[in-house]
Parts: sequence; C-alpha cells; structure tokens
Amino acid sequence: MLDRCGLTSHHAVEFSRQGSSMIAQQDPSPSIELGQWEEALNVIAVHRDKKMYAELFKYFAPRLRAFGIKMFGNEQQAMEMVQDTMLNVWQKAALFDASRGCASTWIFTIARNVRFDMLRKKQSRKDDISADDLWSDGDYPEQEGSHSQQWDLYLIAEKIAPHFHALPPAQRLVMEKVYLDELSHQEVSEQLSIPLGTVKSRIRLALDRLREAIDGPRS
Amino acid sequence: MAHAVKFHPSLSLLEQYTEGTLAAELSLVVAAHLDFCPHCQQLRHDIEADIGCQLAQQSAASADGEEWQQMLQQILSPDAATTTQGSVETASSTESETVATHIEQGQHRIEIPRSLQRLAAKRKKWLQLGGIATAKLPSGDDNHLSLLLIESNTEVPLHTHKGLEITLVLAGEMVDEMGKYAAGDLIINTPDHTHTPKNISHEPCLCLSVLTAPLEFKQGLTRLLNPLQRFFY
Ligand SMILES: [Zn+2]
Repeated sequence: MLDRCGLTSHHAVEFSRQGSSMIAQQDPSPSIELGQWEEALNVIAVHRDKKMYAELFKYFAPRLRAFGIKMFGNEQQAMEMVQDTMLNVWQKAALFDASRGCASTWIFTIARNVRFDMLRKKQSRKDDISADDLWSDGDYPEQEGSHSQQWDLYLIAEKIAPHFHALPPAQRLVMEKVYLDELSHQEVSEQLSIPLGTVKSRIRLALDRLREAIDGPRS
Repeated sequence: MAHAVKFHPSLSLLEQYTEGTLAAELSLVVAAHLDFCPHCQQLRHDIEADIGCQLAQQSAASADGEEWQQMLQQILSPDAATTTQGSVETASSTESETVATHIEQGQHRIEIPRSLQRLAAKRKKWLQLGGIATAKLPSGDDNHLSLLLIESNTEVPLHTHKGLEITLVLAGEMVDEMGKYAAGDLIINTPDHTHTPKNISHEPCLCLSVLTAPLEFKQGLTRLLNPLQRFFY
C-alpha cells in the first residue's frame, strides 16, 4: 500500500539497518526516509502516540511555517495556519489513507483547506464557498498507459526537447533522468530521494505541459 | 452512460485551483468540472503529490524553540478543539447543512454535481428572461456566480464586459463554432473572444456561469482551456 510513497523493500531494509528510529535525524538537510511518515501517521492513529506525534510535529510544523509565510506573506497568519493544520493532523490521523498518497501530500491538502477557510472567515463570508465544496476527496483512478505511451513516440521523435526548458525545474529534472538518462522510475526515486508516486506524478504533469506547449495556444 | 469531457481547464488553471490560489468562484467551476472528469482528477492528484513532496523537502529551522513547544502542548491538551478556531468543527457543521442534489425550475428537475450541492441549496430566486432562467449563487463582490437554465432553441446572449465569463455545462447540450458542448465541458469567453453558444437540442441545458471582475487575470493566464483535448478524445 505504501508503494506510491516509495517504501520499497530496498528502503525497508535500510530502515532496519539504521536502527529502527523513525525520528528525523538532527541533520538539518531536508532528506527524508521514504515511507516513515506514513508509518508514523498510522501509529498515531491507532495508538494515539504522543511521542510519535511530537516527532512528526517537529518535522512538519517548521516546514509548514515556511510554506505558510510564502503563501500569506505574514508570519502571524502562517503560525495560525500551522497550529490549525497540525491540530487537524492529530485529530484526524485515522482518516489518512496511505493508498491515496503520501503523508506530506495529505498534510499539504489540510493546510490548503485550513488556509482557504481562514481567509474566508477573515472576510466574514459565512454563507459562501468553503474548502469542503472545492476539494472533496474524489476517487482518483490511476490512469496508466495509453496516453503516456503515445507520447513516448513524440519524445523519441525529439519534438519535445526544445520545450524542456519551459518545464518547472522539479519536473524537468525527473524528465531528463527518465528520457535522457533512461533511468527507471524506481532509480529516479532513489537518486532524488522522492517517492515513487511523485516521480510518476511529475512525469504526467510534464507530459501534459509539453502537450500544451507543442499544440500552441488555442485562439 | 458518462460521455467523455472534451473541453478542459488548462494546466495552469488546475495548478492554481489545487494550490488554493485561484479565486473561490473560479475554483468552484473547476471543482465542478472535476466532478465530471477523471482525467483532470488525476492531474489534481498529481499536482497535490508534487506540492506535498516540495513541502517535505522544504528546508526549515528546527522546531526546538519555546513557541513550538507551546503549540505542541496546546494541540495535545485534551481541550485543544475548543482553544483553537479549528476547521474540524467547521467540517462537521457543514455535514449537517442542507444540500440540493437537484435543481428544480418549472417542470424541470436536473441532477447537479456534488461540489455545487451545498451552495445550490442557497440559490436566489429564478429570474426568467426569454428562454433563459438565471439564479444567483452566493459569491463575493468581484465575481458573480449563477446557474443558467437555457430552453431549447435559445441563444445565450453576449455579455460585453472586461472580465471573463466561464460557463460549465452541467446537463444538456450547447453548440457553437467550436463544436458541441455537453456535461462537464467548459466554454470560456474572454474580452477578445466571444462565443455565442446555442441550445439547439430538444432538452433544456443547465449551466454554471462565473463572471469575473476585470482585473482577475493578468498575463500568464491567457490560456484557460487545455488546447490538447483533441489528442485524447
Ligand atoms: Zn478535465
């Protein structure tokens, strides 16, 4: 189930060798152990484990703050958003479903919704559109196959290369590793320490963006 | 049987919707499109995964300070829910609110997508103008959100304004020079380019329409429809 967040057997072995700790090391660099936070959320949900939650808090709260400052341009509102988001994480941990995505993705969506409703409340628009209307958890059918394969042909025909530079850096890097260096998705995941699911997501987003670039604007 | 949606929002519109930076009324139109469109649902999921990964890899100072300790204690204290203005409560109060699963107008009764059901229960009165009935939904001052019910053999009148008009077909059909629009399809009118869709079918056509303020869009968002849908379908 955790496969999409990159917890492969390879990584699982590494975990146990490192001595089982789920704790993010004192290392200030943002490297993450793939799969650890998904596991942590499950433990928090089942055992209401405050110690485990404190570790998760220690990792995500300051990152959410940095994210929030970018979004609000205001430290006080950012901290309010962090507190509300992390409270939701504690209270709703049981709703986290690793088969639908990574812990960090789930936490981001909570933060987005909290922020949206916070801004609405500040404008006292009670009657209005809420985060609940906009981002319900729909079903996300995994659509592998036909589209991407069709586009592989375009890639081989080198039609796409000139448009690579227009991709967001994170997506471009993944595309270069897959299509120029010919690494497997798994290898890219390991090299960049990002979840396998994110590698696939970035490829799909990049392909969609390239399709737009090649077809040109519609008049 | 669900048909394939042909007219999708552009990737940049989807990204802003997913980040939560798009205006609420426009976000609602995108959300309603997603209720019809598994392709864009997948893209939304991909964008969320991408941003989530950026969040995890964000560099940040450690959370050792006094302020963080206090926040952690507050969250873990048993009465946390009452000390913060949590959206936990908002979420549960939303569930008990009334929703409208169908729109009723005259003798018509039409099912509407999930994302509109809570707001549809708060619609204003229907106003009839020729073959078109409109009912406003609650929205902000800058953008206007309304339902349109277009009878058969009726043309949608042009709006001349400096903003955008985005129309999402919820049920029935419309046609214009670009082709035929059905449930889930977006029709986008910009100040430079105006479609005049008509309902030439025998059934009424229900749409959601948002009219934006003039300054809602600056450069970079000029492309609003995904131009590649014809590659897929
Ligand atoms: Zn779509």
